[in-house]
Amino acid sequence: MSDSKQQVLISKWLDQQLTEDERNEFEYLCLHDAAFAGLVETASRIAMGAEQFEQLSVPDWNKSATFLSDDAPRWWQWQGLPIASMTMSLVAMVMVVSGFHVEVSGSKLSMGFARVPDADAVAAIVDTRLETYQQSSQTLLTQYLDALNTQQQQNSAQLTQYLLSSSRKERREDFAELVKFINQQRTDDQRFVARQINHLQQEISAISTDYTVTNTPMELNDD
Amino acid sequence: MFEKSDEHLIQKALKGNKKAWFTLIKRYESSVYHYGVRMTGNAHDAADLMQDIFMSVFRSLENFRAEGSFKSWLFRVAHYRCIEFYRRWRPEQGLEDVPEPVSTAPCPEGEILSDHVSKALTRAMQNLPLTQKAVIELKFFGQFTFDEIAQQMGLSPNTVKSRLYSALSKLKLDLEVENV
Repeated sequence: MSDSKQQVLISKWLDQQLTEDERNEFEYLCLHDAAFAGLVETASRIAMGAEQFEQLSVPDWNKSATFLSDDAPRWWQWQGLPIASMTMSLVAMVMVVSGFHVEVSGSKLSMGFARVPDADAVAAIVDTRLETYQQSSQTLLTQYLDALNTQQQQNSAQLTQYLLSSSRKERREDFAELVKFINQQRTDDQRFVARQINHLQQEISAISTDYTVTNTPMELNDD
Repeated sequence: MFEKSDEHLIQKALKGNKKAWFTLIKRYESSVYHYGVRMTGNAHDAADLMQDIFMSVFRSLENFRAEGSFKSWLFRVAHYRCIEFYRRWRPEQGLEDVPEPVSTAPCPEGEILSDHVSKALTRAMQNLPLTQKAVIELKFFGQFTFDEIAQQMGLSPNTVKSRLYSALSKLKLDLEVENV
């Protein structure tokens, strides 16, 4: 049998992967091939020697030398600490330059910048300004109303005077028209009456003529 | 009681937790030290190799992908550090299939091992080339499969099996001599 076949058998035997046929072949070789049996025996001896190998105590050695990185940094060795410190310094500078202030009034703590008053102060300022503005507005309004009243009175007087003067003139003209109208009516009435009289005269004349012609007493009584 | 996993300890060690790294070392230092003893045959060299291995493991720790076991990855690193150790300190000894030169000096492993079988086995392994020695070490002492050994050594499984076969042939003779 070739060495390669024997290698395979020994390898599978060591890994406990022999099939039934291979196991039969393996056992046959162990019985009939002294060299193969010697190898199997050697492997068994080594395996047994490995299991029973004397356990030596590990000598003290420098384990720290194998730890090639630095220890985990402590909190005060934190790399961000200088950056945080510098940031805080910058913030402090900005606070100083910008006039940051803290006020404690009673139980109220207020923080802010000096250039910008807080809400209450703003409200007070606004109230004051509104009151001043209201007062000035009231004064101006009063003055305006007074002036308006005065002007209104002057306008009313002028209008009344105008109306009075214009009424007189119109009434005079109206009376003149009325007189003229009445006179015209009277003229017309006189003309009408004259015409009636004339007409009556004519009728009377006509009646007298007829009476003369006929001379009938009965007709005279009837008229 | 609730032992932390290797991956958990690795993550903490990567974040600079020295205690986690020491716990990981404590878990594997005995295996690595015994590996060093059998691979170098010398307690002093084994200690040096162990430190070199753990330094290399720490340096490469962030490259560890939890696709396989940490132990397998650890012994892969150990194998390459062992090759480097041989190249640096024992250039006269063969890495591949070149037989080890027979040394007449007293074996230093005799100074630390008192058990006869362990001593004989370690002494016999010192006569193997490095790659064969590594296969024996990983197969019998590390309890790895051939595929795992092949992956750790960067070889094909068939090559690993072939080297194991050759190693067994040599060890057979040496162990028989030991028993005489």
